[in-house]
Amino acid sequence: MLLKLGGHCSFQDFSEESCHGPGSDEMVQEENEFTNRPDNTAFTQQRLPAWQPILSAGIVIPGFVLIGLAFIGVGVALFVTSRSIQVLERDYTGDESGTPCASCANSNVQNSFGFCFPQSQGPVFFYYGLSNYFQNYRRYGTSKDDNQLYGVLKYFTSPSDNCAPYAYNSNNQPIVPCGSIANSMFNDTFKLYQTVNGTRQEVSLDGKGIAWWTDYNIKYRNPTNNPLKDAFNGSNSGLFYRNFLINPIYWSKPAYELDTSDPSNNGFVNQDFLVWMRRAALPDFRKLYRRISQDKYPDGLPAGNYSLEITYNYRVYRFSGKKKVVFSNVSWMGGKNEFLGIAYLVVGSMCVFMSIVMLIVYAKFKFPDEE
Amino acid sequence: MTWKSPVALVREALQGQRAREKDLRSLMSNLPYEGLEKGKQPNRYFPSNAIKTTKYSLLLFIPMNLYEQFHRLANIYFVGLAILNFIPVVNAFQPEVALIPICIILSLTALKDAWEDFRRYQSDKKLNNTPCFIYSRKEKQFVERRWKDVRVGDFVKVVCNETIPADLLLLYTSDPNGVCLIETANLDGETNLKQRTAVSGNPEFEPESFNGIVVCEKPNNNLNHFKCYMWVSNTQKVGAGIESLLLRGCTVRNTDHAVGFVVYAGHETKSMLNNSGPRYKRSKLERRLNIDVFFCFILLFAMCLIGALGHFIWLYALPGVPPYLVPPANGHLDSPNLSSFYMFFTMIILLQILIPISLYVSIELVKIGQIFLITNDIDLYDEETDSRIQCKALNITEDLGQIEYIFSDKTGTLTENKMVFRRCSIMGTDRTGSSSRCQKIDPYLEFFLALTICNTVVVSMTNNPLETLSSLVKNTGNILKCCKRKPKRNRTFTMDSDDQFQPSVKMEEPGTSGLQPCSLHAASLHDKHPLTSDNLRYEAESPDEAALVYATKAYGFTLLARTPDSVTVRLPSGEVLVFEVLDTLTFDSNRKRMSVLVRHPITKEYVLYTKGADYAIMELLGTPYAGIGNEKNIAAVTQRHLDCYAKEGLRTLCIAKKVVSEAVYKHWLVERQRALTAIDNREVLIMDTAVQLETNLTLLGATGIEDRLQENVPDTIMALRQAGIKVWVLTGDKPETAVNIGYACRLLEDEDLITCRAILDCTLEEVRRYNSDPRNVDTTLNISLVIDGRTLTMALSPDLRGDFVDLAKHCRSVLCCRVTPLQKSRVVKVIREKLKVMTLAVGDGANDVNMIQAADIGIGISGQEGMQAVMASDFAISRFKHLKKLLLVHGHWCYTRLANMIIYFFYKNVAYVNLLFWYQFFCGFSGSTMIDYWLLIFFNLFFTSLPPIMFGIMDRDISAEMLLGVPELYKTGQGEGDYRFTTFWVSILDAFYQSLVCFFIPYFVYQDSDIDMFTFGTPLNTTALFTILLHLSIEIKSWVIMLGSVLFYFIVTLAYSATCVTCNPPSNPYWVLQNQMADPMFYLICILSTVVALLPRYTFHVLRNSIALSPLIEAKHLDRLDPSMREEWMKEWRSYRGGGQVQRSTLSTPPSPTLENPVDIFSESLAVSDIMGDDFTLNVFGQ
Repeated sequence: MLLKLGGHCSFQDFSEESCHGPGSDEMVQEENEFTNRPDNTAFTQQRLPAWQPILSAGIVIPGFVLIGLAFIGVGVALFVTSRSIQVLERDYTGDESGTPCASCANSNVQNSFGFCFPQSQGPVFFYYGLSNYFQNYRRYGTSKDDNQLYGVLKYFTSPSDNCAPYAYNSNNQPIVPCGSIANSMFNDTFKLYQTVNGTRQEVSLDGKGIAWWTDYNIKYRNPTNNPLKDAFNGSNSGLFYRNFLINPIYWSKPAYELDTSDPSNNGFVNQDFLVWMRRAALPDFRKLYRRISQDKYPDGLPAGNYSLEITYNYRVYRFSGKKKVVFSNVSWMGGKNEFLGIAYLVVGSMCVFMSIVMLIVYAKFKFPDEE
Repeated sequence: MTWKSPVALVREALQGQRAREKDLRSLMSNLPYEGLEKGKQPNRYFPSNAIKTTKYSLLLFIPMNLYEQFHRLANIYFVGLAILNFIPVVNAFQPEVALIPICIILSLTALKDAWEDFRRYQSDKKLNNTPCFIYSRKEKQFVERRWKDVRVGDFVKVVCNETIPADLLLLYTSDPNGVCLIETANLDGETNLKQRTAVSGNPEFEPESFNGIVVCEKPNNNLNHFKCYMWVSNTQKVGAGIESLLLRGCTVRNTDHAVGFVVYAGHETKSMLNNSGPRYKRSKLERRLNIDVFFCFILLFAMCLIGALGHFIWLYALPGVPPYLVPPANGHLDSPNLSSFYMFFTMIILLQILIPISLYVSIELVKIGQIFLITNDIDLYDEETDSRIQCKALNITEDLGQIEYIFSDKTGTLTENKMVFRRCSIMGTDRTGSSSRCQKIDPYLEFFLALTICNTVVVSMTNNPLETLSSLVKNTGNILKCCKRKPKRNRTFTMDSDDQFQPSVKMEEPGTSGLQPCSLHAASLHDKHPLTSDNLRYEAESPDEAALVYATKAYGFTLLARTPDSVTVRLPSGEVLVFEVLDTLTFDSNRKRMSVLVRHPITKEYVLYTKGADYAIMELLGTPYAGIGNEKNIAAVTQRHLDCYAKEGLRTLCIAKKVVSEAVYKHWLVERQRALTAIDNREVLIMDTAVQLETNLTLLGATGIEDRLQENVPDTIMALRQAGIKVWVLTGDKPETAVNIGYACRLLEDEDLITCRAILDCTLEEVRRYNSDPRNVDTTLNISLVIDGRTLTMALSPDLRGDFVDLAKHCRSVLCCRVTPLQKSRVVKVIREKLKVMTLAVGDGANDVNMIQAADIGIGISGQEGMQAVMASDFAISRFKHLKKLLLVHGHWCYTRLANMIIYFFYKNVAYVNLLFWYQFFCGFSGSTMIDYWLLIFFNLFFTSLPPIMFGIMDRDISAEMLLGVPELYKTGQGEGDYRFTTFWVSILDAFYQSLVCFFIPYFVYQDSDIDMFTFGTPLNTTALFTILLHLSIEIKSWVIMLGSVLFYFIVTLAYSATCVTCNPPSNPYWVLQNQMADPMFYLICILSTVVALLPRYTFHVLRNSIALSPLIEAKHLDRLDPSMREEWMKEWRSYRGGGQVQRSTLSTPPSPTLENPVDIFSESLAVSDIMGDDFTLNVFGQ
């Protein structure tokens, strides 16, 4: 373009104006001329570098082999670990004869049964388990007041609507802690005895730290009132006498007396309460009751005969629920679970098998760019 | 301000309304009323010139915008769900939280709208405050005001290169002839100057003395039409039309200043009335998408029903009232029936994202991105005109990838529409462009004089030296270029008649033709008369005219000046003649000709010069031509020449003259005057007067103008055809010209079987016979159909339409000649509706507008013929060759991107929602979620939305080089394309499978353990994220966004679970993810679930990529080779895949009876022959 204009200029030299500025004007022209010209960048011209393997047999074979081998390795480790965990489960619902605590369901009594426990490695965890119990039921889950449980006194006297119908009792007295979850708290208690030479020795159970650290320290708080009782019966909350607070209906003792042995384990930060409030994901679940790691048993329970004394308070037979106790030691992978190990083994072997299939495919259908 | 009673106000308003609605408006000058209050102003009812194009006002933005947004069904659905959530018995989440997604989406859209509106407000403000000159009586001169101050009835002065503020009736110009030139580029993009003439034509014009009343029609949006008359005195009225109207937005050129009377202001101006918003079309993919959304509704309904039923059964099976079954606030449990009824609605809320809420917003975002990339493509940029591709319809990008039929205009679309004068026939003597033998004998003089005079070319003496220079360079370049003729290809196309016609043989000579002398001569002319003629620049309304005038200039007949009243011509002898122009009968598409009536300065004769399409002129020749003798001979020879020119692909025009006697002229003038001042039926009357005069013409000669093909047209058409697109050319030209161009642009090929003006039935029969022939199973027949306008009319009649479409389906290409704009659009409509295919129409002129609007995609080419086609189009390109990349690359990309993205969105939502659904089986169908609701929302809105959007904008499945190199790849998008019924359901099934894996692996791991709800939900959520992202990674390349999404997920979730102690009451996210991330089991579960979930899909892809190679995958493989290797492979591939192009086939037997004895058909199908008339022939050309 430039050259042409120049050439033409000499041809047109009769015209004065036309010649005076092909230099300067030309430059301006050139700049202005292509104002609409798109930028020639990799982005606008869609030439950004990109890496994408085409998933073809040749490329995925090493991937399959690697994944397969790794999975088999992990699977073996999981399987072996899981096998090393000892678990002892005893159903004590007591609605069937021949099971432990056979008549418990009909009488609210202390009952005990004995069992043998093999030698365990590491501390033993003591769980209680419930079956067919839907803690994940939606309305059940919402039936609590987080602000109340955070220790805000305001919500003691006026609990959230979420708690209804467990927010006030029939006398319109506020319930603390309100809601269905708290109301239905599991309240069986257990005592474990070891029979050594015919005498029963109580095994001390460690109830500290069974709940989440964050629940105990942050999420749940007691009001600052001292003594704690004042906060929970409403006597110190500036209320009229008539409106004093009451316990959840199903509770036999007030919140401030849940653990008489340890004053700091009461109110909303009671460990058992915290464990219960953390709702189970599935209808068959277990919850940690105690750890057996104190006194003589830091490394687990020795083999021997034990008996368990149960205070049977919690009724489950009316909705065909089941109760059980579980003793188990734990490993890095938690409790006993063989599923994951087996799954890893199966998937790993499948991957290896697939890689062989792929090898055949590759040999038959390879494409030039893969050579 | 005086107080007015409300009644008076209402009356005032009603009067205003009536005044605006009247068919005729009487306008008076404002000057006598200057300074008076508003109620006394005569033109107070008409809007002022201030414009407001904003949609919203500041105060009412929110309600108005919401009202707009709720016109969308999807938005109503989501608001309905949010409201449902406020009903306590059915709610699934915190009601306030459920509002978040819809609020985010509404506010995003509102933000976008607000920004657009603000931009409009700013541009309005700028326009309204542009300065202009209004006459003021007080100051006795034009004073500077703003555009917004202009009112109807004002006198406005516009100076050179200034934009016109309102529609002005031109009263006075600085030009002695009362002429004002305007450029309408802002309005229609046409850069050529248009001439406007002042109404009164009196040179001393004083605004204050103006006391006429202007009567004009109601405002309308027709840019080329205006009716008005003016009472100059009480008895005399002067008519005026569009030729006296200066339109708002145009620029005054070449005229020092002009004064006009404001007739329409502000929103009533023609340019504002023409401003309609962007066009809205619904793409094929979106129509498909809506069906699938409907399927999603069914799925949702089914799942909710299962939930409700499950809840019923679960409640029913409970033996007692367990402590976890919480009664409603009133303390009484609902019956299972009622609660399961409520549960149905809870489930709808819970599973609502099965209908992808973000899909619609995402599609819009993706399309904006796609359009950005298309408009920024440097290959679609034309340097010559400095224009990019313009996307006018914003939502049909993906349709570009599905085109099956292209309907193309010829002139200006396939060809340059830059005319070069090539040949002429003067009084029956054929002449090439060479002027060496030009003898100044009368016929030639007359012929060239007619050419010089009979046009509307305006001479402009440009003041800008650079502009002149560049235009000269361009023009010279064109002339020089045209000399380089391509060597003639050997065509098997033979003349079916006129074998004795010699000049055609001359054209068969390879190499040089007589053109070179022409251009040399032109150059030498420049040398000889540089000062006088080289500054001349011709502005023509049609490029043909300019070509003719430039040509006559080369022959020495120079058009020096043209005013409405006179034409100045310099003859080769140097003599300058001034012809008085008595009238100009402008061109219209019905007459197909134009005439100029002049008075010869020497002979004082009234001479009418007419120029027009050959058939339009031939019909009007005087009686001697019908008889025997010299005249008839001339006509016949000229006709032969014309046929020959047409066969060479030249555009033909006939030139004729007529000497009018004074008496006839006087009589005619009266009629003419009456027609001109008529306000009703003005056009018809004017046309009638024109027809009256254009009779008994004397043929002077004919011209052949070459319209060269645009660059790369044959290549583009080849590629499009290989891409499985059928290309039809619809043109107004003669069949011979069309066939010739068809060969030139490889629409027709040498070995093609051409069926000319065929008889539908027997051709179809023939084709059927051929197809049913077992020998021809694998070969496709290369037939091309050439059909002319009259036959087309018949073929499109309801009873024959089916057969025509059937025949057209078998043809590889179809050429329709001599078709009208309406026929063009009818052809498009018939094909589109009958064959249910995606159609694209491309054209450049006003005659293509109908077709462009009828097709699924209309493409306008911004060429020489103005911008009407561009204004009506969805995409505007500057060259035909851009179509190749636009369709083959951008079309393919946009389509695959969007199709995959939509399928992915469905998949993603189903996969994720099903996690919640499976959980219902373990929580008594109570509508519980194990994932915090905030995270649910975030998952959909933020964590997983960016990768598919980026995918939709930027993914390249195959490189552009590959797509251009192997046009066959385009076929993957045609018809149903990637986005099929099966694709949708396969991905839904895959989603079900993956969600099952993502749910049940963690389930079996955590079964019977002390896991709590939200801890259980965390690995599910994480696995779902990995699965969903890696699912896309099979296709996507932007790994950065993937990693970004994963990081974003972890950062947001960690931050959320660290800060939310009691913030979202029912759920319990505090420190959950932190706890999980400290547990090795979490990672083991995530890895296993992700691998198992994706294994089938990856395996399927691997096997498909290795065993069942589709063209697309093969292309992907080839893309990975280095360029030189790729070339080789591409060639090899095309040689075996593109069999259709290699293997040729012809009819096994010639169509037996029809060829040998055409007369038989006459008797057989009378209807056909009637329409065909005398020139009926059936020409079948074999190899």
